[in-house]
Amino acid sequence: MATVLFYLLGLVTVIATLLAITRRNPVHAVIYLVNSFFALALLFYLLGAPLVAAWEVIIYAGAIMVLFLFIIMMLELAPTPEADRMGPTWWQWLPVLLLALALVGCTLMLIGVDAGVAQGVPRWYATPRDFGFALFGKYALAVEVVSFQLLFAAVGAFYVGKPERKRRQKKEEGA
Amino acid sequence: MNPLLLFLIPILPLFGGVINVCFGSRLPHRLVSGLSVAAVSGSFLLATLLWPLGSGEGTRVVLFSWLKSAGFQADVGILFDPLAAVMTLMVTGVATLIHLYAAGYMAEDESPARFFALLNLFVFAMLCIVLADNLLFLFLGWEGVGFCSYGLIGFWYRNSKNASAGRKAFIVTRIGDLFFAIALLWLFSAFGTVMIEQINARVAELDPLLLTGLTLLLLGGACGKSAQLPLMSWLPDAMAGPTPVSALIHAATMVTAGVYLLCRMFPLVSLSPTGMAAIALVGALTALYAASCALAQREIKRVLAYSTMSQIGYMFLAVGVGTVSGAMFHLLTHAFFKALLFMGAGCVIHLAGGENDIYRMGGLKEKSPQVFWLFLVGILCLAGTPLTGGFFSKDAILLTAFAAGDGFYATLWGIGVLTAGLTSFYSFRLLYLVFFGTARQAGQGHAPSPLMLWTLPPLALLGLCTGLLNLPHLFGGHEWLTLWLGQPMAEMLPVGTEIGLLFLMLIFFVGGWVIAHVRYRTFPGDEQAGWRSFLLSGWQADRVYELILLRPYRAICRFCWQGGDKALIDGVMEGLARLCLHWGDYVRRLSNGQVAFYLQGFAWGLLLIVGWFLLASVK
Amino acid sequence: MIVPLEHVLYLSAILFLLGLGCVLARRNLIMILIGVEIMLNAVGLTLVGASAFWQQIDGQIMVVFLMAMTSAEVSISLAMVVYLNRRKGTVDVRAFDELRG
Repeated sequence: MATVLFYLLGLVTVIATLLAITRRNPVHAVIYLVNSFFALALLFYLLGAPLVAAWEVIIYAGAIMVLFLFIIMMLELAPTPEADRMGPTWWQWLPVLLLALALVGCTLMLIGVDAGVAQGVPRWYATPRDFGFALFGKYALAVEVVSFQLLFAAVGAFYVGKPERKRRQKKEEGA
Repeated sequence: MNPLLLFLIPILPLFGGVINVCFGSRLPHRLVSGLSVAAVSGSFLLATLLWPLGSGEGTRVVLFSWLKSAGFQADVGILFDPLAAVMTLMVTGVATLIHLYAAGYMAEDESPARFFALLNLFVFAMLCIVLADNLLFLFLGWEGVGFCSYGLIGFWYRNSKNASAGRKAFIVTRIGDLFFAIALLWLFSAFGTVMIEQINARVAELDPLLLTGLTLLLLGGACGKSAQLPLMSWLPDAMAGPTPVSALIHAATMVTAGVYLLCRMFPLVSLSPTGMAAIALVGALTALYAASCALAQREIKRVLAYSTMSQIGYMFLAVGVGTVSGAMFHLLTHAFFKALLFMGAGCVIHLAGGENDIYRMGGLKEKSPQVFWLFLVGILCLAGTPLTGGFFSKDAILLTAFAAGDGFYATLWGIGVLTAGLTSFYSFRLLYLVFFGTARQAGQGHAPSPLMLWTLPPLALLGLCTGLLNLPHLFGGHEWLTLWLGQPMAEMLPVGTEIGLLFLMLIFFVGGWVIAHVRYRTFPGDEQAGWRSFLLSGWQADRVYELILLRPYRAICRFCWQGGDKALIDGVMEGLARLCLHWGDYVRRLSNGQVAFYLQGFAWGLLLIVGWFLLASVK
Repeated sequence: MIVPLEHVLYLSAILFLLGLGCVLARRNLIMILIGVEIMLNAVGLTLVGASAFWQQIDGQIMVVFLMAMTSAEVSISLAMVVYLNRRKGTVDVRAFDELRG
C-alpha cells in the first residue's frame, strides 16, 4: 500500500513541478509549487520523517511560498487583470485540479498505510523525542550557527530592501 | 722593535687615503697633498727602521684572523722576509718621491682629493700584495691595485678616451686576475691552506702536472698585471692618466706586482720545467715585441710605456731562467730609472708646452739643462750603458740565461741581446728627438716647479748606483742582494766567456747608439713608412684582438641578444602574451554579464561531475 | 523501507533536474528562485530517503538545517529582487548585465 502511495505521490510531485516551472504567470507557478510541496511532505512522512513533513508544509508551503506570493504581488509581476479578464477557462484549471485530486487520493491512501503499521508491520520512523535529542545534543552548535545565519539574513534583507533614498539619508546623517 | 709596527707600513697610506676620501674635498689643496705625502713617507721611514726584521727567515706577524671556518684560515698577516723587505723599501721609497712630484705636478688640478686618495690607496694595495702572508690577502691587494689603476688612469674622465683607457686597463688585468683567482682556489684545494710560507714549504708533495697547471695559471695572473704578452695592450693606453700615475704604475706598483708574485711563489714555480720555460718565453717575446714597438712610437710616454713592458719582459725572463735575485735586481734598478724617466717626461711635457709628440719637440737641452742631464741618466740606465744600474741588472739576467745552456734558453738569450740593442736604439732616439735638433714645438712651455725637479736627483743617483747592490764578482762585487735574498749565487761562467758576452752586449749597445746618433742627431722629418705605423700601433695588437676576440665575442653577444634574447625569449614571451590577448578576447565574451549564462556554466560543470562519477562507476 | 532507495533517488533526481531546468530556462528572477527552491527540495528528499534507508536521524536534521538555510536565502534573495526591480523596473535577468566583460 505504502509503496503504491510513494509512486503516486512521486508522480504528483513531478507533474506539479513540471507545471510550476512552465507557467508564464508566477502566481500560477507558486500555486503549483505549493501543490508539489504538499505531495513532497507526504513523501517525507512515508519515509519515516513526520516532523520534517510537518515543517515542509509549515515552512516551505506555508511561509516561503507565501513570501514569494507577497513579493510577486508587491512588484505587480502578475499579468494585468486585462489579460485575465475573461477568467480562467476550465482547461486552465484542469492540471491543478488533477494534481489536487491526486494529492487527496494519496493522503487517503496514507491512512491505509498507517493501518498497515497498526497491524504490526515494523516501520522505522523518527520520533520527535529522538529528533529533539539529536538536534539540540549532537547538532547544538550547528543550530546556533544557523540561528546566527537567520539573524544575518534578516538584517541583510532589511538593509537591501530599504528604499534607496532613506538609505542615503541615513548615511549623510551618519557622516 | 715591536713587529706589529710593520702593520703601520700599509696602514699609513690607507689612513691617508681614507681621510682624503672622506674630508679631502673640504681641505685646502696643500693639506691634501701634504697629508698624502706624509702618509707615504711615514711608511718609507718605518720600512727603513724595520729593515732588520726582514733578515734571514723574516718576521711573520698577525694582526687578526680575517676569515676562519673549518679548515680554512686567512689572517690579516704580514710576512716580512728579505724579498718583501726589499720590495717594501723600493715601493715606499719610490712612491714617496712620486707623491712629492705629484704634489708639484697636480698643484693646479681641480680635484686633488680624489687624486691623492687614489694614489695613497694605490700604494696601500701594492703594500698589501708585497707584505701579505697569505694569498687571499695578497689577492685583496691585487684587486685593489686593479681598482686604483682604473680610477687613476681614467682620472681625467671627462675625456672619453681617458675613461675608456681606464676601463681597458681594468678589464684586461681582470682577465689575468681570473687566472690568479683560479690558481688561488686550486692551491687551497691542493694544500688546504693559503699561507704562502706553508705552500712553498710543501710544494714537493704535488703532482708535476698539477704543478705545471698552477704555474701557468699564476703566469696568466702575472701577465695581466705586468702587461706581458698576450695581455699587454692596456699598458700603452694607460698613458692617459696623469704623469705621476704613469710613473707609479710603471715604477713602483702594479706592473711589478706580477714579477713579485712569481718571485714570491718561486719555490712552487721553479719545480715545473714547462712552467719555467713558458715564463721565460713570455718574458723574452714580450721584451722583443715591446722594444720593437718602442722604435716607432711618437708620444714620449708611449715610448716609455713600451720600454717598461720590455724591461718587465726581462724580469720574467729572469724568473724563467731561475734567478729571483736577477729579477729583483732588475726590478729595483728599473723602478728607479723608470720613475726618473717618467717624472722627467712630465717635466719635458711641461717644458714643451703640453706637447706629447716627440716629433714636435727638440732643442729642449738649451731650454732646461737640468732636465736634460737628469733625463740623460735615465736614458743611459734604460739603454744599459756600462756601469749604470741598468747595465748590471740586465747583464746578470742575460748571463744566467746563457748559462742555462740548452738551445731553448740560448735562443731566448739571443732574443734578449737583440732586444738590448733595440733598447739602446730607441732610448737614444728618444733622447735625440726630444733634446737635440731644432725646437719644433708650437706652444710656449714653462719650467717645471722646483718640487718636481728636486725629486729627480735622488732617483738619478739611485739609478746610477744600484748596480753596486748586486755587483757581480767579475767587477769585484759580492752580489750583496743575492746574499740578502738568500738565493744561490749565479753560476760561475768561465771568466773568458763572461767577458766575451759582456763585450757582445757592449757591441749591441754601441751599435744601437750609433744608429740612433746617425739617424736622429739632426731631425729627420716626419716618418710615416708602413712598417712604422705597424710598429706604432703595437703590431696592430688592438686590431688583432678586435679580429680574434672582440668580433667573435660581439657576434656571440649579438646572437645572444638578437637570437637568444630578442627572438627566442622575447619572442616566446611576447608570443605568449599576444596569444593570451587574442584568446582572452574570445574568453572575454564568456563574461557577458548574463546571469543565465553563468548558471548554464554551473550546469555544465554539474554534468561534468556527474559524467565523471558515471564513468568511474561503470569501470 | 517502503521502496528501494534507488527509486527515492530517481525521484529526487527528476525533481532536481526540473529545478535546474527552470533555473536555466527562465529569464524571470522570481522563476529562477523558484527553480532553486525545487532543487533544494529535491536534495531534502534525498536526505530523508537516505535517513530512512540507514534508519539514522541525521539526514532529517540536515533537512531542518536546509530549511533554515533556505529561508535565509529566500529572504535575502527576495529582498534583492525588490531592490533590483526598484533599480531597473524589471525582474528580467537579461537587464542586469553590468558585469559584462
